Amino acid sequence: MFNNDAFLKGRSGANRLVFTTAILMILFSLSVSAATAQGGGTLRVGLNEPINLDPATGSNDPEVLFNRSIYDYLIEIKPDSTIAPNLSSEWAISEDGLTYTFTLVSGVTFHDGSAFSSADVVFTYNRLKEIQSPALGLLGEFEVSAPDESTVVFTLPAINADFLYGVGSRFASILKDGTTEPNVLVDGDAPYANFNGTGPFVLTDYSPGENATFTRNENYWIEGQPALDGLEFIFIPDSLAQIDALRSGAVDFIFKLDADQVATLEGESSLTIVQRATNQHPVIRIRADEGALGADVRVRQAFKLATNREELLDVVQQGYGVIGNNDPIGPLYSDFYDADLEQPAYDPAAACALISEATGAERLSTDFYVVDSFNYEALATSLQQQWAEGCIDVNILLRPENVYYADTEWLEVDLGITGWGDRPVPQGYFTEAYITGGIYNESHFSDAEADDLVTQAAQTTDAVERAAIYNQISAIFAERGPIIIPWFSSIIGAVNNNVQGLEMHPFPGQTDFRTVTIGG
Amino acid sequence: MSSLNAPIATEPPAKVVSARRQSFLLNTARQLIRRPLSLIGTLIVIIFVFLAIFGPFLAPYDYDEFIRDAEGRRITREAPTLAHPFGIDKDSRDVLSRVMWGTREIMLLPGLATTIAVFFGTTIGLAIGYYGGWIDEIASRVLDSLLSIPALVLALVMLGTVGPSKFGIVIVVVLLYTPIVARVTRSATLNLRDMGYVETARLRGESTLSILFREILPGVLPALAVETALRFSYAIFLIASLGFLGLGVQPPSPDWGRMVQEARGEYAQAWWSLWFPAGAIAFLVIGVNLMADGLRRAFRYEGELR
Repeated sequence: MFNNDAFLKGRSGANRLVFTTAILMILFSLSVSAATAQGGGTLRVGLNEPINLDPATGSNDPEVLFNRSIYDYLIEIKPDSTIAPNLSSEWAISEDGLTYTFTLVSGVTFHDGSAFSSADVVFTYNRLKEIQSPALGLLGEFEVSAPDESTVVFTLPAINADFLYGVGSRFASILKDGTTEPNVLVDGDAPYANFNGTGPFVLTDYSPGENATFTRNENYWIEGQPALDGLEFIFIPDSLAQIDALRSGAVDFIFKLDADQVATLEGESSLTIVQRATNQHPVIRIRADEGALGADVRVRQAFKLATNREELLDVVQQGYGVIGNNDPIGPLYSDFYDADLEQPAYDPAAACALISEATGAERLSTDFYVVDSFNYEALATSLQQQWAEGCIDVNILLRPENVYYADTEWLEVDLGITGWGDRPVPQGYFTEAYITGGIYNESHFSDAEADDLVTQAAQTTDAVERAAIYNQISAIFAERGPIIIPWFSSIIGAVNNNVQGLEMHPFPGQTDFRTVTIGG
Repeated sequence: MSSLNAPIATEPPAKVVSARRQSFLLNTARQLIRRPLSLIGTLIVIIFVFLAIFGPFLAPYDYDEFIRDAEGRRITREAPTLAHPFGIDKDSRDVLSRVMWGTREIMLLPGLATTIAVFFGTTIGLAIGYYGGWIDEIASRVLDSLLSIPALVLALVMLGTVGPSKFGIVIVVVLLYTPIVARVTRSATLNLRDMGYVETARLRGESTLSILFREILPGVLPALAVETALRFSYAIFLIASLGFLGLGVQPPSPDWGRMVQEARGEYAQAWWSLWFPAGAIAFLVIGVNLMADGLRRAFRYEGELR
């Protein structure tokens, strides 16, 4: 990059010397970039600054991406939700489904030169339990042991169909045995000694609030990887500023753009917009317990009939996603998704009929709580107009995230919008939010039949049987569920065309940079 | 200050007063339109007042109405055309209509809040200026301490805790501006209270209330008029800022500050949904300020302007 400042001064004609210098700098920088293009180059990523650097608890995209560059997982969850080998080359599950045996690859070393062995894996998973990592949500209860240097055995007290997704979860970066303070800066000569992984990149510089620089791990255990020479994270808190940085060439890759902002990048021939389907979705939920707005199932159905999902996806989400049903299992869970379930119809007249049948009044009027994230405000204003056609009048009350979720408000109100993130498997949505006593059961939905099916699903390892159970749950939700899902949104990123081999993960923080190259 | 309303020792007959008041108003109006800048300011204010009253009837669409094409599909982000001179925003709404509807809100809330603040401020200022002594000492210190709180910080703290509402906004503005108005009124009162005609009224045995409001208030009025206009323009700005920060009124209401906030993210794609409400705020605030300046010149008021 040439010095922009010097260039501008030169053009103003005030100082010829500065101008000449600027030209020289341009020529120099061109030759430098030509030289680096022949190697793997350095990928510059524009993102928010990671805050919680502990691999076992850091959960958002920048945090996970940071850890993913320095560390390795035992097994990989690929962008298509399949599981692939990584530090573990193969694994076996016992007949009774209670014992998982992992075989580790050999010849792996940490950045400090020490060898990787089964003790490191045992340490890592015990640490997850010790500090109550969110990874336990999928891992459940387990014991881990190491019969020899290259074997790790997990023993479970009960069948857990999602256990492998827990093993490969984004919190399970493999740490060096005995690491007490992972990713904590130390004073002195080796400030990055605690950033000691087996991963593809080595941290060489970290400036809080500015950037993090990594160089290629020359001893990486996969021949020829990483293809890049280096990696730089540039911390840009504002999403508009990230877009400007990409457009001006200051960064090569950004992710998690608002659908609203994507259009600003269309027509930039040097950039590609990457879209990835995810199961992230807004939930419009109607409280369904006794005495609440949606206690009568006809009222819940009226809301569903009065919602024109096609228009919402088209206008509010600008087509970046797929239409949702009335349950959290999106088409991304290909096996578990019921493609034959009829898409909900838009019929405001039928909604009006149901409203007057259920309430005896011509119109229904209520407050509508909306959390102020993503494009949910626009979603709410659109719903307000659509529902008005269906004899439902709502008064929008916009709430900042930290107010709405901090308080119990979001769990109490009659009608609201909540944001739900992507999960590798759908089970968690149900156990958290849609069974009797679920900790986040915001709709207070309690249906004995659904509860029963959710418990069955957890203990069914056969994919076909499990799919049948989920399909039954979907049918129940279509008929009497408390939620409307207007869409499952796509995650949108944008990348410079000189970057090759970048496949964005549905959870962008888990994007794999090992085979990415720059230039050409 | 004392030269404005020539001090008259005895109260003139009622008829003369009303004639004098009339010529005073006429004179002020004449002074206002004589200077081009204050004329422009006054015209802008008149236009916006007109819009505040009749805007909702004149606006081509409802503020929350979606514009659809012939097939019933929603139109979004359409650049200004003859049919939609201010364009269409990302949520398919006519920006011109929203700006027109929004005028009432942006005039009404600051107008109401300013009126209340001026009422309380004037009463307090007159009283403490007239009585003086320890009452004045204590009250002035209290006012000073209130004045030292940064406006936006107080607003954010208050509305953040009790939740955004129109009522809350009015309370915040009244709390912020009452001390300022009180201080201006007090200093004007201090200049007047020892005037001969006030002394005379006192000797004549008039009640304190009558002295405050019939003898002193008319003399304070010029300063007060300027102060009111200024407060009004500041209140518009403060309330628009609160809307921008999401602490104003709720969507889909056409609050100008909120409109700017909603359009901020897409200045590159749909500049019109940002420029027109932002321009409206700028025009109105500048207009009110120019008018306030004109008033100040008309009254030859050289008092403290904050």
